[in-house]
Amino acid sequence: MAQPLVKKDDDRDDEADYSPFLGIEKGAVLQEARVFNDPQLDPRRCSQVITKLLYLLNQGETFTKVEATEVFFAVTKLFQSKDTGLRRMVYLMIKELSPSADEVIIVTSSLMKDMNSKTDMYRANAIRVLCRITDGTLLTQIERYLKQAIVDKNPVVASAALVSGVHILQTNPEIVKRWSNEVQEAVQSRAALVQFHALALLHQIRQNDRLAVSKLVTSLTRGTVRSPLAQCLLIRYTSQVIRESSQNSQTGDRPFYDYLEACLRHKAEMVIFEAARAITELSGVTSRELTPAITVLQLFLSSSKPVLRFAAVRTLNKVAMTHPLAVTNCNIDMESLISDQNRSIATLAITTLLKTGNESSVDRLMKQITNFMSDIADEFKIVVVEAIRSLCLKFPLKYRSLMNFLSNILREEGGFEYKKAIVDSIVILIRDIPDAKESGLFHLCEFIEDCEFTYLSTQILHFLGNEGPKTSDPSKYIRYIYNRVILENPTVRASAVSTLAKFGALVDALKPRIFVLLRRCLFDSDDEVRDRATLYLNTLGADGFVGETEKDVKEFLFDSLDVPLVNLQTSLQNYEPSEEPFDISSVPREVKTQPLAEKKATGKKPAGLGAPPSGPPSTVDAYEKLLSSISEFSSFGKLFKSSAPVELTEAETEYAVNVVKHIYDGHVVFQYNCTNTIPTQLLENVTVFVDSSEAEEFEEVVSKPLRTLPYDSPGQTFVAFGKPEGVPAVGKFSNVLKFIVKEVDSSGEADDDGVEDEYQLEDLEVVPADYMLKVGVANFRNAWESMGDDCERVDEYGLGVRESLAEAVSAVINILGMQPCEGTENVPNNSRSHNCLLSGVFIGNIRVLVRLAFGIDGRQVAMKLSVRSEDQSISDAIHDIVANG
Amino acid sequence: MGLWEAFLNWLRSLFFKQEMELSLIGLQNAGKTSLVNVVATGGYSEDMIPTVGFNMRKVTKGNVTIKLWDLGGQPRFRSMWERYCRAVSAIVYVVDAADLDNLSISKSELHDLLSKPSLHGIPLLVLGNKIDKPEAISKQVLTDEMGLKSISDREVCCFMISCKNSTNIDSVIDWLVKHSKSKN
Repeated sequence: MAQPLVKKDDDRDDEADYSPFLGIEKGAVLQEARVFNDPQLDPRRCSQVITKLLYLLNQGETFTKVEATEVFFAVTKLFQSKDTGLRRMVYLMIKELSPSADEVIIVTSSLMKDMNSKTDMYRANAIRVLCRITDGTLLTQIERYLKQAIVDKNPVVASAALVSGVHILQTNPEIVKRWSNEVQEAVQSRAALVQFHALALLHQIRQNDRLAVSKLVTSLTRGTVRSPLAQCLLIRYTSQVIRESSQNSQTGDRPFYDYLEACLRHKAEMVIFEAARAITELSGVTSRELTPAITVLQLFLSSSKPVLRFAAVRTLNKVAMTHPLAVTNCNIDMESLISDQNRSIATLAITTLLKTGNESSVDRLMKQITNFMSDIADEFKIVVVEAIRSLCLKFPLKYRSLMNFLSNILREEGGFEYKKAIVDSIVILIRDIPDAKESGLFHLCEFIEDCEFTYLSTQILHFLGNEGPKTSDPSKYIRYIYNRVILENPTVRASAVSTLAKFGALVDALKPRIFVLLRRCLFDSDDEVRDRATLYLNTLGADGFVGETEKDVKEFLFDSLDVPLVNLQTSLQNYEPSEEPFDISSVPREVKTQPLAEKKATGKKPAGLGAPPSGPPSTVDAYEKLLSSISEFSSFGKLFKSSAPVELTEAETEYAVNVVKHIYDGHVVFQYNCTNTIPTQLLENVTVFVDSSEAEEFEEVVSKPLRTLPYDSPGQTFVAFGKPEGVPAVGKFSNVLKFIVKEVDSSGEADDDGVEDEYQLEDLEVVPADYMLKVGVANFRNAWESMGDDCERVDEYGLGVRESLAEAVSAVINILGMQPCEGTENVPNNSRSHNCLLSGVFIGNIRVLVRLAFGIDGRQVAMKLSVRSEDQSISDAIHDIVANG
Repeated sequence: MGLWEAFLNWLRSLFFKQEMELSLIGLQNAGKTSLVNVVATGGYSEDMIPTVGFNMRKVTKGNVTIKLWDLGGQPRFRSMWERYCRAVSAIVYVVDAADLDNLSISKSELHDLLSKPSLHGIPLLVLGNKIDKPEAISKQVLTDEMGLKSISDREVCCFMISCKNSTNIDSVIDWLVKHSKSKN
C-alpha cells in the first residue's frame, strides 16, 4: 500500500543527491557532543549534533553504556535553553537513547514542568516522553495532568496523552481504565486525530469486555464520527462485533450491515475501501450483500491513484477465491490493468482473472503472464503460481499448458519460497490429475539435477520414491536419483538412498540393479548414507537373508512414523544409556494442540510437500517432572494425561488463577497456578479449598499449600483426589482461594501481621474428555480395518437445533476430547453432511477409533456414531459420553 | 540622543553582564527548591513535593544571570550530583540545621562529593537552613559537625539561613554575586 511513497525517493536517487549525514562517524560525533556542556549554548549547533546522534542510532549504530550515559547527561543540560527547536530534539534524544531506569529518572521533574508549560509543543512532547520513561508509582502522581491533557483544547496535546494512554495500558491497565470519562469526551472531539486516538484507546480499554465493545460500536455507528481514520477504526471494530455476534445470534439478519453499506458512500476513499473490504470479509457473506462493495471496488479499479487500484484489485483477488461469480463483473476493468505500469497491480489483476475466467481465456492469459514474469518480485510470482495451481485443478484438461508453464518458471532464477510454491503446485497436480503424473515427475527430476535447495531436493526424492515405482517405466528415474548419490551433499545423498530402496522394494525387475547401486553407497564418506544403505540392503534381502516379511518391509519403507517427532525427540533426549534398550512404544503419542494462530496458518495452506507441523515443546514432560518431584504424589503411578490450563478467574482481576487437571489411574491432581497482581500485597499459606459435594466418586486425599505468593511471581498449590481405579469418574468442584494477606510497603518489606482472606474462584469440572488422550493415526482406514468390528457399537443421535454443521462437529469433538484425523475436523462452508474421523487412547491405555457421520436439515442436526475399540465396555462408555453430553 | 543612550547601555551590558552557574545539592527535605524559589521570586510555600531529578532555573540579580541546577536529594539521585557540579562557579550545599539525626549522613555525602577529582577547587557554600525552628543548631556546631574545617583545597563559606523568614538570603546572594565577579 505504501507504494507511491517510495517512489519519490527513487527519483531522487537518480540525481547524485546524497544525505548530508553520509559517512559521519560515531567517535567524531561524540566529540562534537561536548558542545552540550558549553556555558554559552549555541542551540542551532546543538540541534545539529543531536540530529547526527539520532541518525547514527537510526542506522543501527549502538552506543556503549558509558557513551550513552555521557551523552544522556550532557543532553539533560540542554534543558537550560529556551529554544523550542532544541527542546524538541532533547525530547527525541531522551526517547531514542532510552537510558536505564535509574538514570532517566533525573529528567522527570523537568518533564513535569514542561508538561504544565504554556507552550503546547512542550506539553505534548513532554507527555509522550514522560509516559515512555515513567514507572507505576510516578504515574499516579502525574495521572491528574494526563487526564486534563486528554480533554485539552489543543489537539496535539490531547493526542499525545491519548497515545501515551495506549502505551501505558500495556503496563498499568488499572490506571488508564480510570480515564474512561475523559477518553469518551475526547471521542467527540472536533480534531480528526484526537478522535482517532481516543477511539483506539477507548476500544483497548474495553477490549476484554465483549458487551462493552458491542455497546461502543452500537452508539458510535449511530452517532457522528467525523475523522476518516476514526471511521476506519470503527469499521474494523464493527466487523469484529459482527464476527463475534454471528456465532450466537439465531436470526438471519446481519447486524450493522446497514452501517457498513452506508460507509460505502462516505466522502473519504479510505473509509469507502475499509467498508468494502469489511463486507467482503464477512463470514458467509451473500452475493446480495457483496454487490454494493464490489461496485465501489470496481470504480477504484479505474482510479488514477495507484494505491486505490492496488487496494481494490488485491481485495477482489481475495474475493475471487470464495465468490468468483461476484467478481466477473469487474473482468473488463481488470483486463486493462494487465498492462498497468505498476507490476504488483498487474500481477494481482491477472491472477484474479485466472480465478474468475473461463476455459477459453486460459491460453491467452498464460501468454500474457509469461511476458512479465521476469519483471515482478518473488512474492508476486508466488501469487501467480498459486493462481495457476487452482486454475489447473479447475480445468484439468488444460494441464498440459499449465504444467509447461510451471516447468519453465522452475528453471528460471528464484528464491526458496518461490521454488517451493512451484514444486508444491506440481506435486498437487500430479496427485490430482493422473494424466499429469509422468510429465510432472519428469519435470521434478530435471529440477533436482540442478537444485540448490537441500530441503526441496529431499522432499522431491521422497515423493519420487512413493510415486515413481508406480509409473509405467520406473527405470528411467533411477539415473536421476543415482546422480544425487554421486553429486550432492550428505543430506540429499541419504534421502536418495532411501528413494532407491523404495524402487527396489516395489519393482522386482529393478531389484538386482538397485542392489548394485546400494552396495556402492556402502563406501560413501558420510555415516548416515552408509547406515541407510546397509539397513536397506538387509531389509530388502540383498544378501539372501530375508529377515522380515514383504509386508513388514513395505510398512517400514512407506508408512510414516506413528509417534509425533517432537515427542520422540524429547524421549530420546531424556533416555540415558543403560542396559535397557530404548523402547519406541514408551514415547507419548499425544499430539500437542498448536497455538491458534499457527493452526489457522497451516489450515489455509493446501497440503503440499509441507514439513510436518512443529508443535510447541512438550509441556507434559515438564508436568511429569514437577509432579514426580512432590513426594505426596509419587505413589500415584504413571501420569496419564494433563489437561490444558483452565482459567478460574476473569482476566485482569486481583488474583489470576488457572488450573491444570492431572489424571492418574486412581487419582486426580489439580494444579492451581496462582498469580498475585497487587504490588502492595504478599500472600502466605495459599490453599484452594475444594468442595467436592457434586463429585461423589472423588475423595480428597492431600492438599499441598503454597507458602508465599509475592507480587507477579506465579506459584502453584495442589489438591489431590482419589477416585475409583480406571473409571472415568466425572464431577463438578467449587473452589475458594484461601490465604493470609500481608501489606507490603514501598521498600518491599512485608508487615508482620497478616489478615486471613478468601477469594471465590469459578467452578471446575472433570469431564470424560479428561480421560482421553489425543493420539492420531497415520492411516485411519487401515487402523479401522485392523481393529475389526468385534467391539463395535453404532448408534444414532439427534443433536437438536444447531447454529451450523461446523459448530456441531466441533462440539462433539470437544466432548470426546479425541484427535481428529486426516483434517476431517474442517467442515466446508454450506455443506449438508460431513464425515469426521477421530482417534484417541482412553484411560487404561485402550485405543479408541470413532467415525462420525453428520447430516443437517434446516437447523436440525443428526449424527451417526460408530465406535471401535479393544474393549466393548469402552465402546459403550464412549456412547454414554455422547448420550450424556 | 535616545539611540546613543541605548547603544551605551548595550555596550555596558557587554562588559559588565556576568553569568554564573550553580549547583544546589543536599539531602532531601533540606530546602533546596524552597531556596531557589526564595531567591528567584521571594515566595515561600510550606507545601513542597520532592524534586524528582532536577529543576533548572535562571535568575537575574543586578547584572548577574545565575543558572541554578536544583538537584533532587533522595538517595537515588546522589550518585548523579557530581555530573551537574562539574565546571560550575560554586557548589551550594544545603543542610537542614534542625534535623540532627541526618547530619552525619549529610557530612559523609558532602565529603564523598568533594573527593571527586573533577570538582577540585570549586568554591563551596554550605547553608544551614531552617534556623527559624527552635531545635536548629548554631553556625559553630554546624561547622564542626560537617567537618568544614578539614576542607583545605577550596574556598569554603557557611551561612545560617531561613527560607521561611527570608533570613540571611541577601547575604547569600551577595556572596554568590561576588563570586561570579571573582571568577571572571
